[in-house]
Amino acid sequence: MDRRSFLKTGAAAAALPWPSVFAAPQWRAYEVTTRVEILKPQGASRAWLPLPLVEDTPWQRNIGNQWSGNAAHTQVLSDGKYGAAMLYAQWNADSAPVLELTSRFATRDHAVDVARPRADAERLSAAERAFFTAPTEYIPTDGIVRDTAREIVRKERTDIGKARAIYEWVVENTFRDPEVRGCGWGDIKSMLETRNFGGKCGDLNAMFVGLARSAGIPARDVYGLRVARSAHGYASLGVGSPNVTRAQHCRAEFFAQGYGWVPVDPADVRKVVLEEPGRLAIHDAKVVAARKRLFGGWEMNWLAYNMAHDIELPHSRGPKLPYFMYPNGESGGQRLDSLDPDSFKYTITSRETTA
Amino acid sequence: MIRLALVLALLGALPAGAEALKPWSGGATPPLELDDLKGARHRLADYRGKVVLINFWATWCVPCREEMPSIERLRASLENRPFAVLAVNLAEPESRIARFLEAVPLGFPILLDRDAKAARAWQAKMLPATYIVGPDGAIRYRHLGELDWSKPEVRESIIRLMKR
Repeated sequence: MDRRSFLKTGAAAAALPWPSVFAAPQWRAYEVTTRVEILKPQGASRAWLPLPLVEDTPWQRNIGNQWSGNAAHTQVLSDGKYGAAMLYAQWNADSAPVLELTSRFATRDHAVDVARPRADAERLSAAERAFFTAPTEYIPTDGIVRDTAREIVRKERTDIGKARAIYEWVVENTFRDPEVRGCGWGDIKSMLETRNFGGKCGDLNAMFVGLARSAGIPARDVYGLRVARSAHGYASLGVGSPNVTRAQHCRAEFFAQGYGWVPVDPADVRKVVLEEPGRLAIHDAKVVAARKRLFGGWEMNWLAYNMAHDIELPHSRGPKLPYFMYPNGESGGQRLDSLDPDSFKYTITSRETTA
Repeated sequence: MIRLALVLALLGALPAGAEALKPWSGGATPPLELDDLKGARHRLADYRGKVVLINFWATWCVPCREEMPSIERLRASLENRPFAVLAVNLAEPESRIARFLEAVPLGFPILLDRDAKAARAWQAKMLPATYIVGPDGAIRYRHLGELDWSKPEVRESIIRLMKR
C-alpha cells in the first residue's frame, strides 16, 4: 500500500460512523402491536400473524405475546419444517373480523468477531449442516447458482473467506440491467441468468444464502421487522415513527466452524447506497462503515420472526409463501391482498419499553 | 460501397420485426393449464389453430403494467383473426388483480399461476416475459422485458405466423 492510499484509508476509517460492537451491548425491550381487520368478509375468515422467534438467542429474547379480538378460535401454531411461530385466528361467516396481537421482546446488538475463532462456538450436527445447505424452492444450489458460487470462492480456503467473498460479490454486483426494463421475481437462478440483480432484501440476501449454500457453507435468511431508528445515524436502516407497518426486513446468517452463526446483511449496504440522503457513492465513508459492520454484525433495532422458506400456512389451501414476515388473511377460501386497504387492513406499531 | 450494399441486402433479408422478437430456441412448448379469474379453465392445447400471445406479469412489476395497454391494442387490432392473448399473473391475490383491471380494462383472460409453477416451467426468468405460440402449438418467439406490442413490425411478425 502506498502512502497516499494509506492516508486515504486511514482518513476513511477515522470517519467511520458505525463503531465496533464487540463489547457486550445493553438489552432493550420493545412492544410491537399488530392490528388486523378483514373489512369485507366473503364467508369464514382466517388470519396468520408472525410471532417473534420462539427460542431465545444471545441477541433476542422472547418476553411474551397476548392478543384480543372477536375470533371464534385462536391458537399459536408453527410450521412443521422450520418451527416458524404464528398466531392463527379463524372467524365464522357472520362476523366482522378484528384481531390485535401484542408481542414483547428484548434485543441487543449482535456481532461476531470474524478475526478470532472461539473454542466455545456453537457446532452444527451433520443433519443441521445438510439442512442449511439444501436448496429451497426459490433458492436452488445447482446450475448457474453453483457455478457462480464456485467462481466467487475459487481463491478462498476458509468458510469466513468464502462467505466474505460472496458478501462482497453481492454488494458489488446487485444492480439493475439497464438494457432491459423488467422485474426479477425473487428466484435467484433467474436473477443470475438475466443478470437482473435489482431487488430488495428478500432477493439480495436470498442471493447471499443461495451462493453460500452452493459453496457448501450453511446459511439462512432471517425474516423480521425494523422496530426503532438506527443509533448510528442511518435513516435508511431504521424507522422514523412508531408506525412500522411497512418496515419488514430480512437478514442473513452463515455458519463457520469456530465462530457459530455469523450475522450479515449485504442488502442493507445497498439500501444505504440508495436511500441515505444524497444517494451515496459506494466509496462514501458512511457506506464503507456499513459495509464493514454488516459482515459480522446486526444492529438490533429489528425483530426476528423466523428463518422459514416455502412456508405452508396451517389450515390454508392457498399457495406456499416464499417467506412469512407479513400478516396474511383469507376470506371465503380466497387469500387476501395484504396491500389492499379496502379488504384486509393491518397496522403495526412499535415502541421501546426499556426504562 | 459494396459493403454498404451487402449490409442493405442483409437487412432486406431480415423479416420485419425480427429485431423486436427473438426466435425461440428453448425447446418444446410446456403445457399450460390454468384457471382464469372467473374460474374457467384454459388449456393452451385448446387454442390450436390460433397464434397465442402468453404474457407472464404481475401488478407490482411496473414494466408489466406499462406494456399491458399495448397488448390490448394488439388484441383489438387482430379481433376476428386467429389470435388470442392469455395473460398469466404470477401468484397475486385476485383482489389485487381486480383492482388493476378496474384501472386498465383488458379484453383477454387473466390466468392465475398461484404457485408460480407455470412461470418456472416456461422459464419466465423475469417479468414481463412474453411468448408467441404458433398455430401448431410450438413457441415461435420469446421476449423478456417491456415491449410496445402494438408496433407495426411486431404485429406483422404475428400475422405472418397466422399464414404459415
